Amino acid sequence: MAKFTKLAYDNADDMVFGHSKKPVSYGCGIKVGAGYVIPEINYAPRPGTEKSVEKITKEYVEYISKDAIERALTLGFPNLQLETEWVAQMGTVPGMGASVVAGQKAITEKYHKEYGINLAVRHTIPDQREAEQGLRDGMDSKFNYPEKYWECCEIVCENGGDLLSVESVGGKEFADYAVTHGDITAFLFGVGYLGSIDMEHIWTEMANIAKKHGTALGGDTNCSGANVSMFMAGGMLDNDVQKTFSAVTRCISAARTLVAPESGACGPDKDCGYEGVIVKAITGMPAAQEGKNCQCAHADLQGNLMAQVCDVWSNESVEYHPEFGGSSVQCWLGSLGYECSLMNTAIATGQQKTLRDLYMLSDRTRGPEGYVLAYDNAWKVAKAIVEYGDNYYLRAKAAGITGAKIIREGYDKKELVLTKKQLDVLDKIIKELEALPDDEDKFYDYCTKKYKDDVPTFNPKSYGF
Amino acid sequence: MVDTKIDYNMILRRYDAEAENNDSPEAIAAKMLPADEALKEVASAVLYMKFKDVGPAVTAALKTKEPLDIINNGLVAGMEIVSLLYAQHVYYLPEIMMAAKVMEVGIAIAEKQVPGGRATKGKMVMHAAEGDPHDIGKNIAAVMMRAAGYTVVDLGKDVPVDDVIASIKEEKPFMVSGTALMTTTMTAMKDGAAILEKEGINIPYMAAGGAVNRDFAESFNLGIYSAKAPMTPLIAEKVLAGYDWKKIREEWDSIVGGA
Repeated sequence: MAKFTKLAYDNADDMVFGHSKKPVSYGCGIKVGAGYVIPEINYAPRPGTEKSVEKITKEYVEYISKDAIERALTLGFPNLQLETEWVAQMGTVPGMGASVVAGQKAITEKYHKEYGINLAVRHTIPDQREAEQGLRDGMDSKFNYPEKYWECCEIVCENGGDLLSVESVGGKEFADYAVTHGDITAFLFGVGYLGSIDMEHIWTEMANIAKKHGTALGGDTNCSGANVSMFMAGGMLDNDVQKTFSAVTRCISAARTLVAPESGACGPDKDCGYEGVIVKAITGMPAAQEGKNCQCAHADLQGNLMAQVCDVWSNESVEYHPEFGGSSVQCWLGSLGYECSLMNTAIATGQQKTLRDLYMLSDRTRGPEGYVLAYDNAWKVAKAIVEYGDNYYLRAKAAGITGAKIIREGYDKKELVLTKKQLDVLDKIIKELEALPDDEDKFYDYCTKKYKDDVPTFNPKSYGF
Repeated sequence: MVDTKIDYNMILRRYDAEAENNDSPEAIAAKMLPADEALKEVASAVLYMKFKDVGPAVTAALKTKEPLDIINNGLVAGMEIVSLLYAQHVYYLPEIMMAAKVMEVGIAIAEKQVPGGRATKGKMVMHAAEGDPHDIGKNIAAVMMRAAGYTVVDLGKDVPVDDVIASIKEEKPFMVSGTALMTTTMTAMKDGAAILEKEGINIPYMAAGGAVNRDFAESFNLGIYSAKAPMTPLIAEKVLAGYDWKKIREEWDSIVGGA
């Protein structure tokens, strides 16, 4: 499998929203990264609708999809991408996944034909594999989740899904431990190293399945690691995880999320992968991102900044329910669509770099994670990754060290404020990562011994060892 | 790229830096550590997360102290200081997790010397809902419950409703909790509570997790809400004091006010 050892963008300043080096087309007229930004509305069905195939199909197709498409028409949006993040039952109840996929395909085709609106549906399958049972085929005799994973991919592709994606969980057993214990080495081992190995395993096969059916292959996200870290680091008043720790986990996660395009994914990658800006700098692939218009799902400290180089702009997720202005998907689509209109107006008037920089500047110093994800800094992290591009461990380590040093430099030159605790944790991270061996095998041996008791659910067979 | 040196005054305000507590753990803890030297050593091992020190400190203390004295006035006392430092933003989650582990190591050594074993405050069954693989919040809450002196029966994640019910019947806990990050998995808790009620097992069913809000948790009989892990021991304390699920709901704001 070819790995990225060069950047797609020679200069950070060349990166801008709405434009990617490798635009992709799929669905009913959707082109991503082709000179404009597309809104992506994501939603969760109401509790109880998962009880039957009929109920959930009606919820997704006749309520959610229809509502969203009609609001896009009402407000004059030329493009709309729907994202169905599968609920667990869609992968376990016979016929449920297929019914929803086929239903959403039919309704998007109907509206595309009738109004000419460009539409597509991204299906993000559930990765329910559990470390306790084992991540590879034949290991999970209790739930058969590894085998069900492939079945979900097949269901999406066989029934007309436009774009296949996932939020994979390889390395999560270490990520959970790392985040709750502030242990950056555990995160590097779990997400940067084991997570990458798992990504190669699942994405290679996903590419085979998608190719067989002609389905577009989107991308992944380290939602189960770096996002857990970011959410627990929280806002200004939260006190669970240090924001400098979270920022470094984000950099490490980029080296892992990169494996999807290396295995055949073409983008757009997943919205909740805040590492997408780093991945875009390397691959030139379109990026789906989220921020200010995903407050329905969560708050973070880089709401504007995340729009800086996006090609698809998302709301993360909203439960379907009524609001004063319509259903929740209609309200949040309105919010997304108008933001996209602003970005596309900036492009149409040649002011895209100005707007990009305003987005970026407004959050650049709101916290360490925004600082390191500012496109100029993210590009430097990307550069560090490709310098060690051939080796999962070394590139993830390089991403972490580079990201940490960028934040330290920002503090030293008084651009970024850090609390004493944030600074202490950052310095400890730099020291710890720099002390790790350069040899992959030695790193593996070191970690398997170090975490033998602390992460008892780790099974080397899950990663092919 | 534009100049990044701009006046941020009306763009953002770093409340985290402004509210920073620069007191050291040592300074805050100095007045709170036990006066007795042996117990102070034990409590300090917990407070400063010294895995290697806690065993020798407890063993040394056992030569002159009763095991329950060491547990309550050394190990638990150390953990109480940790909780205070957490509340004051001097310590953070990693310190809580590590200190709790140190405390558990110490308790394991000391309670071997307690005839008949150590009585706990009470037993709680915890799980992540059927179909839901997200359990980090449940794991944190479990640590906090153990640190507060409770016994936790941790059923893990993606636990079928029937397994939860079976465990409750076997373990007879004073409270059960479930967590969910998805709207379609949280309904398993509602289903579980309905079975408990039907069978006359009237214990509070705590619903928590990213997808769960207070409205949902209080939409079914037995259901009570916890917004974050540190609230769990506060609510547990009231349940043990005789509050039923209705009274917990009525006084919820004042019960969790300090969490």
